[in-house]
Amino acid sequence: MTSVFSPPGFDFSNTLRNNFFAEKGLPLPKATSTGTTIVGCLFEDGIVLGADTRATEGPIVADKNCEKIHYITDNIRCCGAGTAADTEFTTALISSNMELHSLSTGRKPRVVTAMTMLKQMLFRYQGQVGAALVLGGVDATGPHLFTIHPHGSTDKLPYVTMGSGSLAAMAVFESGWKANMSREAALQLVKDAISAGIFNDLGSGSNVDACIITASHTEMLRNVEMPNIRVQKERQYGFRRGTTAWKTENIRSLVVSEEVTLLGTGDEMDTT
Amino acid sequence: MTSIGTGYDLSASTYSPDGRIFQVEYANKAVENSGTAIGLKVKDGVVLAVEKLVHSKLLVPGANRRIQTVDRHIGLATAGLPADGRTVANRARDEAAGYRDFYRSPPTLKTIADRIGQFVQMYTLYSSVRPFGISTILGAVDKDGPALYVVEPSGVFFGYHGAAVGKGRQLAKTELEKLKLSELTTREAVIEAARIIYLVHEDAKEKDFELEMSWIGPETNGQHVAVPKDLFDEAETKAKEALVSGFE
Amino acid sequence: MVDRIDFQQLKAGEVNLGTSIMAVQFANGVVIGADSRTTTGSYIANRVTDKLTHVHDRVYCCRSGSAADTQAVADIVHYYLQLFSQSSGAPPPVHTAASMFQKLCYENKDALSAGIIVAGWDKEVGPSVYNIPLGGGLFRQPWAIGGSGSTYVYGYCDATYKEGWGRDETVEFVKNTLALAMSRDGSSGGVIRMCVITEEGVERLFVPGNELPKFWTGTEVLAAPKTKVVLDPQVAPMVVE
Repeated sequence: MTSVFSPPGFDFSNTLRNNFFAEKGLPLPKATSTGTTIVGCLFEDGIVLGADTRATEGPIVADKNCEKIHYITDNIRCCGAGTAADTEFTTALISSNMELHSLSTGRKPRVVTAMTMLKQMLFRYQGQVGAALVLGGVDATGPHLFTIHPHGSTDKLPYVTMGSGSLAAMAVFESGWKANMSREAALQLVKDAISAGIFNDLGSGSNVDACIITASHTEMLRNVEMPNIRVQKERQYGFRRGTTAWKTENIRSLVVSEEVTLLGTGDEMDTT
Repeated sequence: MTSIGTGYDLSASTYSPDGRIFQVEYANKAVENSGTAIGLKVKDGVVLAVEKLVHSKLLVPGANRRIQTVDRHIGLATAGLPADGRTVANRARDEAAGYRDFYRSPPTLKTIADRIGQFVQMYTLYSSVRPFGISTILGAVDKDGPALYVVEPSGVFFGYHGAAVGKGRQLAKTELEKLKLSELTTREAVIEAARIIYLVHEDAKEKDFELEMSWIGPETNGQHVAVPKDLFDEAETKAKEALVSGFE
Repeated sequence: MVDRIDFQQLKAGEVNLGTSIMAVQFANGVVIGADSRTTTGSYIANRVTDKLTHVHDRVYCCRSGSAADTQAVADIVHYYLQLFSQSSGAPPPVHTAASMFQKLCYENKDALSAGIIVAGWDKEVGPSVYNIPLGGGLFRQPWAIGGSGSTYVYGYCDATYKEGWGRDETVEFVKNTLALAMSRDGSSGGVIRMCVITEEGVERLFVPGNELPKFWTGTEVLAAPKTKVVLDPQVAPMVVE
């Protein structure tokens, strides 16, 4: 008989089994990757960020309307591509640390601070944390837009794209971006860039999210464009009632009845 | 001593009601009982000299040196407890080596004085340790030219043109003030340093003493070394002559 | 047992500075320059990158290799130099900055792919250029080139460089060398960014991608001959059956 006590130390008993499975073509499950289109662009008085809303698990769409524009602070937002769990938790962690940082310094948070925190964390994990980010915001020093790659490198540019749909989106930016665009023109360009990702990249799809950040206000535009709403089916594919014949009928009561007997000395509190 | 018996002098971590730390003041007393040490910062270099009191005729001449080398270009002379002097010198060497390793360049004397000051100050904060019973004269020629600092038992340090610590410091300081230090050469300063040590030595009260001298200047290629024998002998002879003529 | 370490091996998906970088010392300063291309595989992640990175008032570095690694190293050195100048009360010598880079690159050589050129001006020695190649060595040189594009232009530099140049000649040398490297190296390209670092300050120079110096482009050979070849009517063409 085997002992009920487990020996001290790590348990490697499943390693052999897992290796065997992997050999037979049954590898360990992969993390959900947001095959994504995310973008950001500078305009005359701020930043517009954009993202699609598809999350994938290999060939399967895991979520048709997820949120990829994450909150960092009131004046800073961050779009995430790559491993969904990693983008979710790194942005949440940095958001928390940014709040604590601005509380301890007594100053409004800055975009470079968030950028430095993110790049130092991602560099420390040597690419193991698979977060590819577009960070944008407006602070005391003006509007700023960065890309942050999973290994911890950063770029500062007037318009940026990331994720599997970045090529399609960049093509839109390269042909349509101008310096000092109006709010409306910038939003339209971002919508076009994300749409390019949605329609031309298999990893991206569903709706367009956007976020407009200016010195005084941040506006989150959730599902600002919904080009993929399921339409009414032209025909009914349901079966008519009575299509399947039935031969016997058996009705059972599923209600469980229970009798409760109070056992006491008669000193219980009167709760009536 | 008003402090005795009050209980405020038992620990370096206790202030007296008027804001003094008696343990640090006692450390200064340990310095005052020691043979004099002087440092001269002149035009092109630095000279260190020490009046090393010899308490036994059985001692080997040249033993128990009180001038030590911290780095190629930094010298250190102490007055006070010789063992503490060695501890501080070793720490200074570690700091200098650490600086060289990190920055790949020779440390400035100010940096070393600052770090030794911090080190010494740490020993004035805790009841479990005793403050250093030494004053340390640091001399060097670094990238900014000649430099001279004194670190006291409290941990404070000051830069000087001429410095004197130990028994004969008062007389030594008046002698140093008479010199035009910024016009002297290092070679000339060696002669003056020997003269001052001989002058402040109280022949009547004290036993024998040994003169210890080192210099850093153009003739040493910017390195801290003992004064060579010929110059040392010349300086010692002139010092003795000056003493005789002074009595006349 | 690993018998050969492949330093060029980047981690999968890593952002690479397939680069042409350069620094040249002249009488009272240094000129540093770089192309502007950052790549991830075959995609240009940034076509206007600034690879000339400030680490102190008069000390800059040119970065090549992994973008993440070189940015991290430059950030650390930047921090140390701020600490140095605050505690010593004077700007750091270029040699000190270069030593810090060297220390980080050597001690972490197994984890880094970074080829860095450090250049600048200091009070003690004036202008100086230090090269820190992949293994973490430290070499002072009158001129240094680096990155994947540099291999194409070693010969040009050896043949062209002369001692005793002034500012303008040095700027031309850097500009021409980088243009040649960028034209031959697929991983280099975009624009040329340059900095002139002297005691007085740092001057930034910019050459747009459509104004790069042009050299031999091959048009003379590939274009149609200017004069038509006239055949001798006496010579009959060979009959081919």
